[in-house]
Amino acid sequence: MDGELLPLTALRPGRRGRIVTISVGRGKARRLMELGLLPGEIVQVTSNSAGPVVLRTKGMTLALGRNVASRIWVEVVQ
Amino acid sequence: MRDILVALSGSPNVGKSTLFNRITGGDVHVANWPGVTLQRAEGRVQHHGITLRIVDLPGTYSLSAQDVGERIAREFIVRERPDVLVIVLDATSLEKSLYFALMALELHHKAVIALNMMDAAEKRGIHVDVDGLASKLGVPVVPVSALKGVGVGALLDRILDVAQGKIRTSPLRVDYDGLEPFIHRIQRLIESKGALSRYPSRWAAIRLLEGDEPLMEELMHQDPDLAREVKALRERAGLELGEDPERIAISSRYSLIDDIVRSTVIQVRLAAPSLAERLDEVMLHPVMGPLVSVLLILLTFFLIFAVNTGFPLNLIFANLGYDELARMIEEFSISGILGSLFDWLSSLITKWLISAGYSGWPVGLISDGIIGSLGTLASFVFLLLIAYVFLGAMQDSGLFPRAAVSLDNLFRKFGLSGRAFFPAVLGMGCSVAAVVSTRAMDDDRERMVAAMASPLIPCQARLLVLLALASAAFADPLKQSALTVSIYLLSFALYLLISKLLNWLVFKVEYAPDLVMELPPYHRPSLRVVWWYARSNTEHFMRKAGMLIFVVGVATWFLLNFGPSGYLTGSKISESYAALLGSLLTPVTSLIGLPDWRYALAFEVGFFAKEGFLITFSSIAGVADPVQAIRIVGITPLKAVSMALAMNYYVPCLATVAALFSELRIGKYVLLTIALEIVLALMLAGAVYWTGVLLLGLS
Repeated sequence: MDGELLPLTALRPGRRGRIVTISVGRGKARRLMELGLLPGEIVQVTSNSAGPVVLRTKGMTLALGRNVASRIWVEVVQ
Repeated sequence: MRDILVALSGSPNVGKSTLFNRITGGDVHVANWPGVTLQRAEGRVQHHGITLRIVDLPGTYSLSAQDVGERIAREFIVRERPDVLVIVLDATSLEKSLYFALMALELHHKAVIALNMMDAAEKRGIHVDVDGLASKLGVPVVPVSALKGVGVGALLDRILDVAQGKIRTSPLRVDYDGLEPFIHRIQRLIESKGALSRYPSRWAAIRLLEGDEPLMEELMHQDPDLAREVKALRERAGLELGEDPERIAISSRYSLIDDIVRSTVIQVRLAAPSLAERLDEVMLHPVMGPLVSVLLILLTFFLIFAVNTGFPLNLIFANLGYDELARMIEEFSISGILGSLFDWLSSLITKWLISAGYSGWPVGLISDGIIGSLGTLASFVFLLLIAYVFLGAMQDSGLFPRAAVSLDNLFRKFGLSGRAFFPAVLGMGCSVAAVVSTRAMDDDRERMVAAMASPLIPCQARLLVLLALASAAFADPLKQSALTVSIYLLSFALYLLISKLLNWLVFKVEYAPDLVMELPPYHRPSLRVVWWYARSNTEHFMRKAGMLIFVVGVATWFLLNFGPSGYLTGSKISESYAALLGSLLTPVTSLIGLPDWRYALAFEVGFFAKEGFLITFSSIAGVADPVQAIRIVGITPLKAVSMALAMNYYVPCLATVAALFSELRIGKYVLLTIALEIVLALMLAGAVYWTGVLLLGLS
C-alpha cells in the first residue's frame, strides 16, 4: 500500500520505503545518519528473512540487525 | 627540498589500501598507531626527485572521532597538518564515499581527490564529470584505477602541485541552513578567545554544534566558561530550529552530496540482473546462506591446511588405504618440506663444524638450537602467509561479509552479532590475528567478549601439535581424523558458550548488539591485493612475535642441554634445568594423567609458542620427526586425548596474551581469560582422562 507506515523489518524484498523516523540511541543514530540513513531518504530492501535486513541506499549495500531495523519506520513508496 | 608529507584517507571499501600499495610499490613500514594495535602503514616514494612520505590513515565513514579509527585519522590531520591530504573516492558509488570527503575537506583543504575504480564505473554505465567534481569540491580530482595502476603518475603530479602551491585549493563550504547564524556566533566566540586554535574555526564551530564530545572536552579544558556558553547556544539552536543540530548538519552535508551527484554523475541503466544479485539471493537466504557460508569456510581451510600440513588430504587418503600417497602429501606440504629442509641443513652444519675442529656444546647450539629455532620461525612465516592468502581472497571477494550476515542469527543466541564471525575464522589461522581483528567491532562489550573467547579456536600451530599427537597415539587414520575434527567442533561450541558465559557473568548483559555493516560489492579477488594483504599481515606478526619465537627456541635448547652440572652429553636430559623446571609443574599435569616432567615441560615451553610442544618432544627424544619423538617419549591413546584437550585450551600463547593486553587494556580481563582457559583445560582433560581410567579401564 502506498504511504503505509511500516518498520523496515516489515518491508518485503524488492519494496522501497522512505525513511520517516529513526528511534535509536544518540551514538547509534549518528552512525546511521552518517551512513546516509536520514529521514526522507528512500531505501530498497533486497533481503529480509530471519536474519539482518539488507538494503540498498546511496549506492551502498547495508546489513542492519533486526533490532535496529525494527526501529526505523518507513513510508512505502512505489 | 624537504620531504612532502601525504596522508591517504577515505571510507572503508573504496580501495584505499590498494592505492597505498600501488603508490609506494612495496617500500612500506608497518607499525601500530600509538597506544592501539591498529596498523599504521607508512611508505616512501620518489617523484620528480622529491621524496613523498605517505601515511595510510584508518578507513572510516566519518571524522566525528566516534571510534578509534576516526579519532586517529582526525588527530593525525590536525596535529601533523599533512602537506597534502589524499581523499580516495569510489567512482562506482560516489554518494557513499563523498560524506567522508566533505568531512575531510572541511577540516583540511590542501587536498587531492583520487577518484578510484573509474574503469569499473565506466563498465557499469556510470560516467563522472571529473572537472565538474573538482570545481564543486575546490580541489583537484584525478581519476585512477588502483587495481590496474592507471593514473598514479598523474595523481603524484597533482600532489606535488598542491604541496608546492602551484594549485591553490579553497576550503569547502557546506551550507548549514538554519544553523548558519549559530555557527557564526560560536566561530566569533572561539576566535576572540583564541580557543581551539589548532582547528579551523568554522569547522570547530560546526562540530561543537553537532555535539562532538572530544572537542567539547578540549574546550572545557581550555576555557570552561566558553564551553558552557557554547553548550547553551547548542541547546538554543535545537529549540529554535525544532530539530537536533546534529541531524541538520548531517542532512545539510547529504543535500550538498545530492547536488554534487546530480550535476556530475550520469548513470546509463544497464539491463539484466547482475551476478551479484543472484549471488546475494543464495548468500542471504535464511537456510542456504548459513549453509553455504559454513561450506565456504570449510573449503577455505581445507585448502589452507592441505597446502600447509597435508591435513585433511593425508588422512582421507590414509582412510582409503592409499598410505603411500598420504605420506607423500604430508612430505610435500609446506611444513613437511620445511621440516626436511632444516633437518638437512642442521646435519650439514654439524658435519661441517666437526670437520672444522669444533666439538661440544657450540656445535649443538648452532646446529640444533639456532638452526632449529630458525626452522620454527620459517614454518610460522609460511603457515601464516598461506593462510592469509586464502583468507585475503575470501575477504576481497566480498563473500566473507555476507557469511557474517547470514550467521548473525546463530551468533545472536550467544549475545554476539555476525561480526563475531571474523575473529572465529581468523583464529583458525592465528590467535593474534583473531584478537587484533576484534578492533573492527563497534560494540565495546562484543569486542571484549570476542577477543577473550577467540583464543579458544585452535590456531595452525596447535593444529600441527594436534596432528602429531593424533598420529603418534592412533594407528588408525579414522581415529586420528575423529580426534582432530572433534577438537575443532568442540572449540567452536566453546567459543560461543564462553562468549555467552562472559556476557552473562562478567558484563551482565544478555542482548546481542545490533549489526550495522556495509556489504562491499562482489568481485573477483585481485592477486595483487591478496598478496599485499598476506604480506603485510605476516610481516606485522613477525615483527611482534618473530624475535620472541627465536629467543625462546634458543633458550629452550640451553635449558635442555645444560644442568647444574654443566653441559650434558648423551642422554642425561633428566639432569637438565629443563627437567627441574618441568618437575615444578608435574603436580598439576598429574591431575590430567600426565605425571611426567617431560609433558610438564612441553606445557611450559608451549606457552611461549604452541609449536614449543613439538620442539620439546623432538629435543628430549633426540629425533627431528615429532611423531616419532612423541612415541619415544611414550603416550597412550587416552593420554593423547587428554593432552590434546589441555594443549588446546590451557593458556593463550605469549604473543596472544600480549595482543589481549593491548586490545582489552584491562589487566583484570586478560587474567580472567587465562584463568578461564586453565580451568577449562583441566576440567575437560581431567574429565576425559579419569572417565577413561575409572569407567573404561584405560590407561
